[in-house]
Amino acid sequence: MPAVRQASDQLRFLRQNLSQRLPNIPGIPYIYISPFFILFGAFLLFPTVYTLYLSFFEYLGVSNDILLSVTMGPIEVAIPQMANLEFVGLSNYERLLFRDSLFHRSLFNTSFIFFIQVPLMVGVGLATALVLDAKFIRAKGLFRTLIALPVATGLVAYSTIFLLLFNDQVGLINYILTQVGVEPVAWLGSAWGARFTLVIAVTWRWLGYNMIILLAGLQTVPQQLYEAAEIDGAGRWQKFRYVTLPQLRPVLLFVVVASTIGTFQLFSEPFVITGGGPSNATITIVQYIYQRAFESFDLGYASAASVILVAIVSVLSIVQIQYGGDE
Amino acid sequence: MRSQERKEALWKFGGYIFLLTLVALVMIPLYWMLVAATIPQSEFFAWPPRLIPGTEFLSNFQALQENVNFVRSMGNSIIISVSYTILSLILCSMAGFAFAKYEFRFKEPLFYFILATLVLPIQLLIIPLFLLMVQIGWTNSYLAVILPWAANPLGIFLMRQNMKAIPDSLLESARMDGATEFQLYYKIALPTMLPSLAALSIILFLNQWQAFLYPLVILQDPQMYTIPLALAELVGAQRVYFDQIMVATSLAVTPIFIVFLTMQQYFIKGILSGSVKQ
Repeated sequence: MPAVRQASDQLRFLRQNLSQRLPNIPGIPYIYISPFFILFGAFLLFPTVYTLYLSFFEYLGVSNDILLSVTMGPIEVAIPQMANLEFVGLSNYERLLFRDSLFHRSLFNTSFIFFIQVPLMVGVGLATALVLDAKFIRAKGLFRTLIALPVATGLVAYSTIFLLLFNDQVGLINYILTQVGVEPVAWLGSAWGARFTLVIAVTWRWLGYNMIILLAGLQTVPQQLYEAAEIDGAGRWQKFRYVTLPQLRPVLLFVVVASTIGTFQLFSEPFVITGGGPSNATITIVQYIYQRAFESFDLGYASAASVILVAIVSVLSIVQIQYGGDE
Repeated sequence: MRSQERKEALWKFGGYIFLLTLVALVMIPLYWMLVAATIPQSEFFAWPPRLIPGTEFLSNFQALQENVNFVRSMGNSIIISVSYTILSLILCSMAGFAFAKYEFRFKEPLFYFILATLVLPIQLLIIPLFLLMVQIGWTNSYLAVILPWAANPLGIFLMRQNMKAIPDSLLESARMDGATEFQLYYKIALPTMLPSLAALSIILFLNQWQAFLYPLVILQDPQMYTIPLALAELVGAQRVYFDQIMVATSLAVTPIFIVFLTMQQYFIKGILSGSVKQ
């Protein structure tokens, strides 16, 4: 045992001596960041570039050919080609943008959800945050917890609940409607019903998320601004219009941009609740990409659609930031 | 003065009505899930529908388990989500520590480069990742799902922001006392970062727990299905058993509800830290 202790003492001494010089050894930070960057390069950077590359090709099948082989002394790195491809130039893009009516339909469906859902959710989220921020409301914590609860539900899990709720025959919603004397609605059986079902479901899931962010934003508004406005005789509406809104602007902008990005990436909800139907009335862009890529294995074509999706989302975000940012 | 008071009371009343309505709208779907999971299959198509929970949860669960191996799916989800969270925490906190507390060449460009990738949607990566995993024979493996987003741009960003708050003097005096550089990381940086690590692990865990599109592409063997995949399988089946689906759904959401209710401050910190404005 003493020998072990002696050895470990020696080791510690060695290590200590070594460490005293370490702050100046430039290698240390690279050791810290390299595991991150290895995975980052392999699974994020490379695929991004490869998608762009793939979008100019037609995919013919898997390939085991070697694309590039690098020999560094005893180490030989062979990069496989991965796919058997045929260069088609811009024709994937041309077909998508001008001739693919199903892709246009998915753009329309996604845009429709975007135009209804984002204002609805941000509006109700803001109203909720304002009420929860009001002085006269008690049990704020309890209300906040209950309203935010859907944030903890998984996307597919909550979608199955809405699939059942809005079921045309046995769903609770249609039961309630008939009880109050309204004709049952073909929620999932009609195009507009299915679109609104998606809007309602997504709003249910994300309202609390937006409310939490907006509430935190409201709580950073300096109290003196409200007091100053009160001295000037401002009413409730004027305080909201001239103090709250301008102060909340960056947070609102974040919520709008994040919701926009989220809407354009909708996949689980239409996949589970509507299956993209009826007759493609609710197919979203990502769902279309999924079908092209993994049902018909048009990987090059689907890559081009992904690139277009990223372009749309980027342009929308930039426009929103330009329009809603500081003057 | 009296009309002023009446106005106040009206606002207060309206506020509560608004909040209670929202709470009801949030709770009805969850309550309905509970009802559907606990009534027998035979009563499912009854009209009017049953509005009160039954006692058939266990037998519905047995039917579910016979139909798809849901326990196995829960196990898969737990293994994948936990290993992903731990791996990502290690990678992000180590790299974040270097970016916050060391000087090195290309530090700024590298960091802004990572930040720029925050905006890339995952859909952009699915097709090449699929080809890659097919090529190296990793489809239907845990690793194929765990590794790709472990190097998480949001994670490294949060870690770096928070680790900047660790005083340099603290690290310097530890160096004086003979701590190795690595000890600075796991004995000083990590313990002081516990709240941020908790918030980040909730984000990471939840993202992986509910991940759908990528696992759907990579995991085709039902034995490897995660919870969302098993749910989608049930929904897409020839005959849809809503009682079984609702049992599965309640098993999927209940653990997260418990985490949410018990660790709400970290949950909210996680949501808010994802929204930090630059």
